[in-house]
Amino acid sequence: MKDNFRQSMKWLHTWVGLAVGWVLFFMFLTGTLGYFYQEITRWMEPERPLVAHHYSNEKLIDIAQNYYDKHGAGDIEWDIILPTVRDNNLRVGWREPRKEGEKRSRYKVKVIDIDTASKVQTRETQGGRLLYRMHYRLHYLSTSLSYWIVGFCTMLMLLALITGVVIHKKIFSDFFTFRAKKGLPGWLDIHNVLSVIALPFHFMITYSGLLFFLFTYMVLSTDLQTNEEQYKEMRKEIYPRAAHIKSIGEAQDMLPISTLYQQVKNTNTWKADELSYVSVSAQNDINAQVAFVRHETDITYNPQDTVVVNGITGEIITQAALEYTTAGMIHNGLFSLHEGQFAGTIARWLYFFTGLIGTAMIASGLVLWTTKRKPQQLKKPKGPDFGYRLVEQLNIGTLIGLPIAIAMYFYANRLLPLTMADRANWEAHVMFISWALLLVYPAFRPKTKAWSEQLNLATVVFIFMPILNALTTNKHLGITLSHGDWQYAGFDLTMLVIGLTFAFAGVKFKKAQRNKRSQRVNSKGRPLNINTAVESELVLNKENRGAL
Amino acid sequence: MLLLICLGFSTMVLFCMAMEKHRQQVINSEVPQYLSNSFRPMAWLLLVITFYMSGDLYGWSIGPAVFFGALTAALLALILLLTYKAEVVPLLAIILPLAAISNFYL
Repeated sequence: MKDNFRQSMKWLHTWVGLAVGWVLFFMFLTGTLGYFYQEITRWMEPERPLVAHHYSNEKLIDIAQNYYDKHGAGDIEWDIILPTVRDNNLRVGWREPRKEGEKRSRYKVKVIDIDTASKVQTRETQGGRLLYRMHYRLHYLSTSLSYWIVGFCTMLMLLALITGVVIHKKIFSDFFTFRAKKGLPGWLDIHNVLSVIALPFHFMITYSGLLFFLFTYMVLSTDLQTNEEQYKEMRKEIYPRAAHIKSIGEAQDMLPISTLYQQVKNTNTWKADELSYVSVSAQNDINAQVAFVRHETDITYNPQDTVVVNGITGEIITQAALEYTTAGMIHNGLFSLHEGQFAGTIARWLYFFTGLIGTAMIASGLVLWTTKRKPQQLKKPKGPDFGYRLVEQLNIGTLIGLPIAIAMYFYANRLLPLTMADRANWEAHVMFISWALLLVYPAFRPKTKAWSEQLNLATVVFIFMPILNALTTNKHLGITLSHGDWQYAGFDLTMLVIGLTFAFAGVKFKKAQRNKRSQRVNSKGRPLNINTAVESELVLNKENRGAL
Repeated sequence: MLLLICLGFSTMVLFCMAMEKHRQQVINSEVPQYLSNSFRPMAWLLLVITFYMSGDLYGWSIGPAVFFGALTAALLALILLLTYKAEVVPLLAIILPLAAISNFYL
């Protein structure tokens, strides 16, 4: 019975994984890039100045306030976003008055050049945010359809994780086992190791991912149990918002925001000085309020991270602190864990690497599927089945093709003419066109050739990225590094490392192919040489049947 | 953070040495029975210390999350080393935490 159970779980794991593997790979890869979406946007807007300032927060606030007074949209809500380790530019943002035909007014962020105190004209791009949005919102599809597709795949991912744990017989005794063997045992070990070492992350990211669209996926339950009033009430409890401050219309000059900031700093509620952004409501009105928000110090959203003051008198307004219910706190905690907003530099890199481990886990699982079936498929008189060939083709086109397509997105950002109409959308079109081409390409090539050609292509496009940047902007690695602009230089360096990784993979792959070929040549004269190779792989397969 | 990764690394090395097949991978000579028996309890102890350190450094809200992240990083490094360069593992398990701790306190 027990083995039967495990057998059926194995079947489920295999087919669930295969069915949504490619979508999951896409979600994991773009989501992982999302941990650095601000840094990616910064690279995609090379017009922004290099960081070079030793200004105090007060001075930066003054610069931002001056800018807003001159160019802003009047007495509405607006924000000052201070330089952080993630994005070292000073930014000012507000909602533009709603245009006709728009459902909601658009929130626009302007980058301010600190030295000249004027706006930086950046190229039209959707930056890293687009990549990060893709991992739950997809692209080209309607929002609700995307959410449902993503939710369905995530649900199956959760299923694959649980069944994966069930079928991994020796999770503890094989905890450290990784045999760098060729073929099936090697891939199996890679898949196991990648799954086990980051298992808490995999569970957390999948489960919390489902919670993001809780009310979409659980629509029946919410519909049956609540009426509209109750539903609104429940949402309010889960997502409490500070009351919107409206201006009464009685003008009164506010204290300068930098003065307010100094007063806040002197109170004992403000411990570490990690001001992240400032939000101003009802500016220059008797109702004016200014909120100072610091970098997150708690995954459940510490209410003390925000200090709200009266803009006229500078008095601290305490009742604005948001009250979370226990359920709300758990919800916040899972959201924070998923997004990693609290993470500092090293923790963010950890998130990035763990995300890549998840991506690689999915990739290795997909490769495992074909590796396991290869011997039988090669034995068939008419060649491999259509299904097998399709999986292999999708593997090549996605596992190698998607990274190349993302690189093409960055290329488009540098190479499309700046004045092009609809430029930002075309960057995305270029990405998807490249992916489509790379998906189709392996159909016309022998599979091993296609693998190695796409690996080579990936190597070239990623290694060339810093050079492209040097050719198309005035901020090449020499300048950014000597300037200490690590966000900008970090992007170029990371691309270089990714390129080298692909190069390494390409060399390894070629070596393995050459070994196989030389084996075949050596055994020439023996008529059944291919079959013996197949046979030996079959034996290996049988040996490992217990583990698979 | 680096401190946590280094401590996590040593913890995992101890867990790994507690297993016969991995001990042979790492050390050629025989290890006395009492010593090999003590690896697992020591590993648990170090694990608890690492967990406490992460909570202490990052607060009990962010700390546990960081703890798991650090363990993942340490494990990846350890498993790759075990496969490709097993002989340096014991040395690193001693040097890394010492370096991290001294770096932390100096």
